[in-house]
Amino acid sequence: MEQILDFFRGPDGVTFLSVYQSALRLSLPLLALFVLVRSARSLLGFRREPEVWAWLRLATGELLPVTHWENLLGRKKSADIVLDFVTVSKNHAVLTRLNDGSWMITDIGGKGKVEVNGNQVLSGTVDYGETISLAGLEMVLEPVSREEARLQANSRTKAGKGNSPGLTLMLLTVFQLLVGLELVFNRAEARMTILTAFAILLGVEWILFIGQKLLKRSGFELETIAFFLITIGLGVCASANAAELYKQLIAMGVGIALFLALGFCLRDFKTAQKLRYAAAAVGILLFLANLVLGRSINGSRNWIFIGGFSFQPSELVKICFILAGTATMDRIVTRRNLLAFVLYTAFIGGCLVVLNDFGAAAIFFVGFLAIALLRSSSYPSWILVLVGVGMLAVLVLAAMLAVKHFPHVADRFSGYGHVWEHPFDNKGYQQTRSLMCIAAGGLFGLGLGKGWMQYMAGAGASDTDLVFAYVCEEWGLLMGVMMIFALAMLGLFVVRSSKVARSSLYTIGASAAMAILTVQAILNVFGTVDFLPLTGVTFPFVSNGGSSMMSCWGLMAFLKACDTRQNASFAVKLSTQGGERL
Amino acid sequence: MKSISRRTVFSLVLACFLLFGVLTFVIRYFLYADRWVSFTGSPHVYTNGKLNTGEILDRSGTVLYSSEKAKNYADSATTRKATLHLMGDRAGNIPARILRAYASKLFGYDTINGTAAMEASGGELRLSISAQVQAIAMQAMNGRKGAVGVYNYRTGEILCALSSPTFDPLDPPDLEQDNDDGRYDGVYVYRFFHASYTPGSIFKLATLAAALEEDPELANETFSCKGVLNINGEEITCPNPHGRQSLSEALSNSCNCAFAQITLRLGKQKLLAQADAIGLYRSYDIDGITTTRGQFDLSDAEENDLAWAGIGQYTDLVNPCQYMVFMGAIANGGKAAVPWLVSSAHCAGRETYRASTSTTSEMVSRQTAAALREMMRLNVQRMYSAVDIPDVNVCAKSGTAEVGEEENTATFAGFLDSDAYPLAFIVVVEHGGAGSSTCAPIARAVLEGCINVMDGE
Repeated sequence: MEQILDFFRGPDGVTFLSVYQSALRLSLPLLALFVLVRSARSLLGFRREPEVWAWLRLATGELLPVTHWENLLGRKKSADIVLDFVTVSKNHAVLTRLNDGSWMITDIGGKGKVEVNGNQVLSGTVDYGETISLAGLEMVLEPVSREEARLQANSRTKAGKGNSPGLTLMLLTVFQLLVGLELVFNRAEARMTILTAFAILLGVEWILFIGQKLLKRSGFELETIAFFLITIGLGVCASANAAELYKQLIAMGVGIALFLALGFCLRDFKTAQKLRYAAAAVGILLFLANLVLGRSINGSRNWIFIGGFSFQPSELVKICFILAGTATMDRIVTRRNLLAFVLYTAFIGGCLVVLNDFGAAAIFFVGFLAIALLRSSSYPSWILVLVGVGMLAVLVLAAMLAVKHFPHVADRFSGYGHVWEHPFDNKGYQQTRSLMCIAAGGLFGLGLGKGWMQYMAGAGASDTDLVFAYVCEEWGLLMGVMMIFALAMLGLFVVRSSKVARSSLYTIGASAAMAILTVQAILNVFGTVDFLPLTGVTFPFVSNGGSSMMSCWGLMAFLKACDTRQNASFAVKLSTQGGERL
Repeated sequence: MKSISRRTVFSLVLACFLLFGVLTFVIRYFLYADRWVSFTGSPHVYTNGKLNTGEILDRSGTVLYSSEKAKNYADSATTRKATLHLMGDRAGNIPARILRAYASKLFGYDTINGTAAMEASGGELRLSISAQVQAIAMQAMNGRKGAVGVYNYRTGEILCALSSPTFDPLDPPDLEQDNDDGRYDGVYVYRFFHASYTPGSIFKLATLAAALEEDPELANETFSCKGVLNINGEEITCPNPHGRQSLSEALSNSCNCAFAQITLRLGKQKLLAQADAIGLYRSYDIDGITTTRGQFDLSDAEENDLAWAGIGQYTDLVNPCQYMVFMGAIANGGKAAVPWLVSSAHCAGRETYRASTSTTSEMVSRQTAAALREMMRLNVQRMYSAVDIPDVNVCAKSGTAEVGEEENTATFAGFLDSDAYPLAFIVVVEHGGAGSSTCAPIARAVLEGCINVMDGE
């Protein structure tokens, strides 16, 4: 009871003003909670209804639904179309739906032959009405009629049904207005900058929302979560150094452009597949540029300066890396190209070690694990384990070398786990200040712009590497926990929606993007609170940093592409008609 | 697609790791945030390098420390010296552990509101310590090294926890120059809580407790002493032969030969079990101060070593505070209150902490405690008239511990068998010579001081 009274107490005791200000302090976490719960309900509560793209009619008259764009045909239980006949191999063929709605079948090395209308094929097209034979087992590919498709589309739950994304965005807008106002009061000297920045933020998010509405897409939860995190990030930025707000907003704009472009490319998975090679090449170029032009900040040589702008190539390489790592089903089961991808990863890892950026190396390693795990679904798993262990060994070895040769790395590792014994030197200064400030913030925070972490912004990295502590101090532990929940929610969404994914390309992309975002949050938050060594990794969307902002939006495109709820995502084609076009 | 989508569980594992870590952190936050926030140099609770804690008072209201005052420490030099080890020194050689442990309670920190609702002026911390008694103890020790402790075995309040030597925190000695004669040796150590000493004959109480627990009829036996007892060729000696004596006389005589026999009859296991039961190996967390554990190790002991161990020599070590609690348990029928130093904390007129009494586990049975009490009372009547305070039943045992080549450590432990003054005490004087003659006057002065203070309350 006294603690509750304390909550409303001001410098002059419990007065009208103090109650009003405390109510404001309480309303931010409440609004955030509403926004997150509403987003969670529609992201995690949707019914996972399979889409039927075609039918396979067996000789017995039985109709098997074809529910993905890529379907594994075989005898094993985990096949998408289970053909439980002794002659059929466990993995026999892959039936793929192409961009134009036509179908293709690929022999993936089963015992028996694959024939279309009596002609053996290794990889060839199948037209509706043609007979496919797998080691003698015959079936006819039949189309889904327009009427059937329409019925199917209409019966599927629309994204945002019951949880209008517009209303959620309204709540977020109220949240943003309160945040902006508080900042204007507490940072009077930067009033105009803050007002302009928040006006731009609101404008951009509503334009994005209305634009998607016009495209008849109704899912906006992923963007809402991103904007929620960005609002916190801008709040930290305004508190630490309001002059950097515009830089963050520009990065956000570029990021959203990247997000839209990538999302549109991903609608056709064959197009996306062609992009892979370009992406891989861009990734290599970025790193080579980094090796040549790179400059050192805080010990890692991972920055490039071009005409007054600075950016971290490794952030953008994340997107290239995932694109390069995705693969379609026929490639996965025929074991093509994984070796090339392993070599590609090794190149990136090597560059990062040379650049002395171990946080990023750890992130890429987890991203690699996610991709390799998915791509090897029909592989002997020992190959994967071997590759994983090998790469980990290299990483550890490199880390040990670095600890030996670079004092700042050594300090971070040697202080880890007992930072309270080193509160005044490199080993524990940042973490002890962080814990101190988290404690000072309590559950509801000291108020935006009123914390102590701001004095450690910039070189002290309080607005980037230690941003969790920054948020906890000024916004309260509740908000700190909610920003983590927001991210975890995205992870759960990826897992849930993978069940009704169309192509392995999308599943791999989303899963790897999510792995990278999650591991960034893990390294950032746990490094700050001394659960892990502090590696200087950014928290997605929140940490101050332009390259990070752009790369996070790029990664979001992969998440957007796996959202197959009816009419949810611009990165997924509408499917009201027999299949095709918008 | 099925097996691929199944493997997206990887993302789930990562998300769960993140959530689990955050949950762990939130739990740690509620457990430790008050320590994090008050850590030295925290700008949230320090102004110009000084903790905004307010005041620390002794049980009678004497100011021992104040963040308001320019000099921080008490006005009287005697009080400053007598409470040095509790309040710490400026250089940080002696940490102010109590202050650190209760800082968050003093400025009104709480985990819900953080420092947002904190008081700028700080609060008030009240100790169970009596500055007056501390001063009496310090004067009685007269610069000799050692420790004096007194506590209420019913409530747990520590009235006296003196460590000697000491110095004035406002006029600290320069150990490089001022310690030629060794008078400041170990001055930074809080001996009462952090030292451990060879107990000497006060340990016979523990041995006797074990023997009585094993066989209550022992009290009716007699023991003979020829001045020397031969065990496997090694000699246990008494200063002079005590002849035939009852058990209670053997305790009064502090007869080594009798106690060697009792020890050998008991055997290692029973003794070890008793040492464990009286908490010898235990460490108490007393308001931010963690006491040092004692030692009673018989793993390599031969027969004669065992005999010496039973009479408080060999490798035996006890912590003064812990042994004082054992005295309290004898006085209190087998269990004693766990000692504490901080009675209450207030912030902005509101109580943020109040001490509560908790009890130790049973150290000896009620019956054994009664028998020991009686023998210790007889002991004082027969041997230590110097400590016998009129109208109060003092019960005690002295010890003269041999420590290598150096002069013996004098020890003296006991309690007042009194409902009005339920106090247990211990006095240790390094290089003190004979236990009773050195320590008994100190104990008497301190106990009388305590009685005075309690009468005044």
